[in-house]
Amino acid sequence: MAYQVSVFLENKIGHLERVTTVLKDADINILTMNLNHTPGGWGIVNLLVNKPETAFRLLSGAGVSAALRRIVVLPMEDKPGSLDGLLRKIAGAGINFTTAYGRSGNGNAWFVVDIEDLPEAQQLLLDAGLEILSDEVVYSLD
Amino acid sequence: MMYWEKELETLPVKGLRRLQVTRLNVTLEQAKRSPYYGELFGGNGAFPETIRDLEALEKLPFTEKQHLRNNFPYGFLTLPPKEIIRLHSSSGTTGNPTVIFHNRHDIESWSNLMARSLFCAGVRDTDVFQNIVGYGLFTGGLGFQYGIEKLGALSIPAGAGNSIRQIKLMRDYGTTAIHAIPSYMARLYDVFLEEKLDPRKDTRLRLLCIGAEPHTEEQRQRIQEMFGVKAFNSFGLSEMNGPGVAFECEYQTGLHIWEDAFLVEIVNPDTLQPVPEGEYGELVMTTLDREANPLIRYRTRDITRFIPGECPCGRTHRRIDRITGRTDDMFILRGCNIFPMQVEGVLMKIPEVGDDYRITLETINDQDALVIDVEIRREWFRGDMVYLDKLQKRLTHLIRDEVLVTPVIRLVEPGSLPKAEGKAVRVFDKRKR
Repeated sequence: MAYQVSVFLENKIGHLERVTTVLKDADINILTMNLNHTPGGWGIVNLLVNKPETAFRLLSGAGVSAALRRIVVLPMEDKPGSLDGLLRKIAGAGINFTTAYGRSGNGNAWFVVDIEDLPEAQQLLLDAGLEILSDEVVYSLD
Repeated sequence: MMYWEKELETLPVKGLRRLQVTRLNVTLEQAKRSPYYGELFGGNGAFPETIRDLEALEKLPFTEKQHLRNNFPYGFLTLPPKEIIRLHSSSGTTGNPTVIFHNRHDIESWSNLMARSLFCAGVRDTDVFQNIVGYGLFTGGLGFQYGIEKLGALSIPAGAGNSIRQIKLMRDYGTTAIHAIPSYMARLYDVFLEEKLDPRKDTRLRLLCIGAEPHTEEQRQRIQEMFGVKAFNSFGLSEMNGPGVAFECEYQTGLHIWEDAFLVEIVNPDTLQPVPEGEYGELVMTTLDREANPLIRYRTRDITRFIPGECPCGRTHRRIDRITGRTDDMFILRGCNIFPMQVEGVLMKIPEVGDDYRITLETINDQDALVIDVEIRREWFRGDMVYLDKLQKRLTHLIRDEVLVTPVIRLVEPGSLPKAEGKAVRVFDKRKR
């Protein structure tokens, strides 16, 4: 099972850069990411990286509020309609999610989903005929 | 029960009041020798007449900080400079400094009160006492220093700051007692953790004294948990020597204020009339054992109350409650009187909230707003937006219930708020006028 690194950020100039500098200095690659913002002036950035444990350790050490969160990465073809097909299967399995983002390249595409009660949901996804990428595969996406 | 001065500390109330009347008359005579009180009282020579009982106290005028400033530096001095051996003064960043002079008697009296205070909290001559506050003009350094020496414990005059060195001193010499301001104790604890040390296991601490900065019961509890020992509340103000005015005993049920050395009133700050026993008001104090620089009915601006009833420790000197605020740090927002302590009281009950916070009064959409920046502790962050959003709403509701104004809560990254140096100033007024 794969992890993303979630980071608490104030919505201020230069704050996201503080995070990316830590990753750059450790030669950590960002595979895909998304950034949320609330009216409260803060947000959370979710990072799918090739070395999440290292990233988490280094960010925490740099005084950043970071957390490792388990996610699932679902592969699909990079063509019109494949996300629609994927979402139908997820909905069919009766699963709701709060955060999701994607990545595509070389004819393939991936859907990254943060789901509550993940262990149970995972089985439901498999039962619905979806493929879930192992963490080795996820971290070596290029 | 052990006392530093059994007879004085357990003097029956009637005797204590008689002692106060006697000492008040001596103080008034002495005060007349200062230019300020000399002129104030001297106009007709007969005033003030001898005080027979404390009911007559209300005939005496109040003294305010502004009087001290206007008569800077020698207007309150009763003795020739030759008799004076020390002064302590405020920084005076907002006008003339407030300065207090001491002769040999005054330093001896203060040292004794300080030793009594420490003994009352459980410090003994076998302790190793590390005093982690600034030395110099600030009274917390030398005030405690002389008290520790008077009591006979081993003093480590560490001074403020440099947490790594503080921890090294504590471990090298087996420090058993500490005095520091409460916000510093929380910071010191963080450094212990960074050094992979646990103050509960890796020190010989037995007790803490915290003061010089208003704080809440919740903050005290938190410090006690961090260090695994009791933290005793210390109260003082430079105009009344400094520390050693009031101190908690082992029961921690309020601070015994030393009534043989100070005449204590609690008045309504608007009417200046005494409040009913047990109600909050402004603390007004008269020195009863100070020769060089006596002060009559000095308005401290600190808000507290007498705690009704007797203390199980047997001391007859009344207890005041922890300071809930100052008449002058209160701010008025949308018609509500708000004390920063009210906000802090709510924040410190929430485990997710860090020790630093900041209150800003701003004008948002032409309306005055109470904006509170709150740090969320790193260890509580789970990457969950919904959870943080709920926390933000919860804080908003709790503070609104406390101060009657809906605040704007801003969650900020840990470490992003400026650390408090000395007394924490946490209210910034940026309202458009």
